Amino acid sequence: MTTPGSRRRRRERFLPYLLLAPALILLVGMLYPFGLGIYYSLTNYWLQYPNRFRFVWFDNYVDLLGEPLFVRALEFTIGFTLVAVAVQVGLGLAVALFLHARIPGRRAIRALMLMPLMIPPVITALMWKIMMASTNAGILNYLLAFVGVDPINWFGSTQGAIISVLIIDTWGNLPFVALILLGGLQAIPTEPYEAARVDGAGPVAMLRYVTFPLLSPFIVLAITFRAMDSLRIFDVIYATTAGGPNDATTNLQIMAYQYSFQWYQMGKGMAQAMVLLLLVVIVSYLLMRLWNRAAESTQ
Amino acid sequence: MTSRAVSYQRLTRRVVIALASVVLLVWTVFPFVWILLTSLKSPGDIISVPPTFVFTPTVDNYTALVVGEQRGQYASTRPDFPRFFLNSMIISVGAVALSVAAGIPAAYALARFTFPGKNALAFVLLSFRFVPFIAFVIPLYILYQRFGLYNTHAGLILAYQLITLPFTVWMLRSFFMEIPIEIQEAAKIDGCSWLGVLGRIILPLSAPGISVTVILGFMFCWNAFNYPLMLAGRQTFPVTVGAIQFISYEQVLWGQMAAATIVAALPQLLLSLMVQKYIVRGLTMGAVK
Repeated sequence: MTTPGSRRRRRERFLPYLLLAPALILLVGMLYPFGLGIYYSLTNYWLQYPNRFRFVWFDNYVDLLGEPLFVRALEFTIGFTLVAVAVQVGLGLAVALFLHARIPGRRAIRALMLMPLMIPPVITALMWKIMMASTNAGILNYLLAFVGVDPINWFGSTQGAIISVLIIDTWGNLPFVALILLGGLQAIPTEPYEAARVDGAGPVAMLRYVTFPLLSPFIVLAITFRAMDSLRIFDVIYATTAGGPNDATTNLQIMAYQYSFQWYQMGKGMAQAMVLLLLVVIVSYLLMRLWNRAAESTQ
Repeated sequence: MTSRAVSYQRLTRRVVIALASVVLLVWTVFPFVWILLTSLKSPGDIISVPPTFVFTPTVDNYTALVVGEQRGQYASTRPDFPRFFLNSMIISVGAVALSVAAGIPAAYALARFTFPGKNALAFVLLSFRFVPFIAFVIPLYILYQRFGLYNTHAGLILAYQLITLPFTVWMLRSFFMEIPIEIQEAAKIDGCSWLGVLGRIILPLSAPGISVTVILGFMFCWNAFNYPLMLAGRQTFPVTVGAIQFISYEQVLWGQMAAATIVAALPQLLLSLMVQKYIVRGLTMGAVK
């Protein structure tokens, strides 16, 4: 027996799926190529030789272990992420603390800091490419000469290229870290500070025992987003060094790009992409656990 | 402590703060100033040693951008920047429109209904924020070549859903959840259907949030570089991929590249002023308010 009420209730049960249908269709449209990609990583798909297409199981993955470039790309991916996150979160914390103090013009500085954050990363890279010209016309080398620094071969030398990418990435993303942490600082209530002051805590002790513990969920959040983005950095490297010189700035994403779009070895490129994905999943899992701990400790 | 020692301490503090402010300002703003200057220089001034701050400005670089392919020695290989700009507009507007159309009902369902698989679905959507693009672009390239979507606006709009759909759903959900549930219940008692609740309560009340989502989504599309680099061709390049076309094998057109970066960044700078307060929220998919 169906009463109007039960019919309505049954309709309500299916309603969410109806509402989700358009998004789900798009989602399937995303997951299908992803599944196809996993399949391709188990084949020797080479765009120029479609006739040789064969299922090769885990050959692509096993081959990677014996490839020197892969080991270096993996090292660079992890090493760059560690350094970039340390530099950006460290400096970002300093900037956030600075802006949190009542500095004259902090609103203007905060607004200006959005500029590097919101322009396309590849445009950021091109801007710095112009400034980092290694000829004498490059403005950065010219300015550095005033403080006694010899002209730097920014993109031409191994070390210079790595540092260039780090500087450019930091310029674009330091505001992100600073703004997250500034938001965190502003969310801390005043009572803990007052309690600490009553206990006779100095500014350093307050920072150590009040600010940092209460800010820790925000710090972990900033680390998470920056780590995820640094592991996958592509635009800046592509537009400046393209992975060079001597593959010094080739990370997994650049390597997978080169394999699949310069040599059209889609199978191998896809296997490298899956390794990077695995790395991202592991790191995000670890950071999520850290976040849970930080969030629990502040409650 | 004497009063003089106190005032001396205060003075050093002020000097340190002023210095730090200047360093922060120069670090943030100088690249923009320098690129703006470069874009107004003639080729001779650009390669002058030492670099010049004083020169006769020229708009030649911008003219060259606007005139596009119709003029110049390398007419056939010259980047067609007006078209790139138009492409960016078409793809970004299209991608956001599709995401918002599919995202509003989805976000409503995730915000206001309980059903099995709800959290898993939200998590799957969120995880797209962290997936390496290359894992998607390789199979997409192969599929697009096969089905004629390569180098088309429609193909790019679909690929951009990887950027905008998860973002749109998460942002809208966080805005929808801010609306007190009591209002919705009151409307239901008054006989409103779910469609009425969505149309008469949720959408009007979250209109500012929807605008923020639209603007930020548009900005993320405008910034996109990876997907169009592989899936677009000369006819569909957006400004981001277009700007690197000024680097060719024979030379780098520094002045025009500078002008192109300014033009490509300008919409972002204007839009970011409008959504200042929400940028961090947008970049963290609603995690930080």
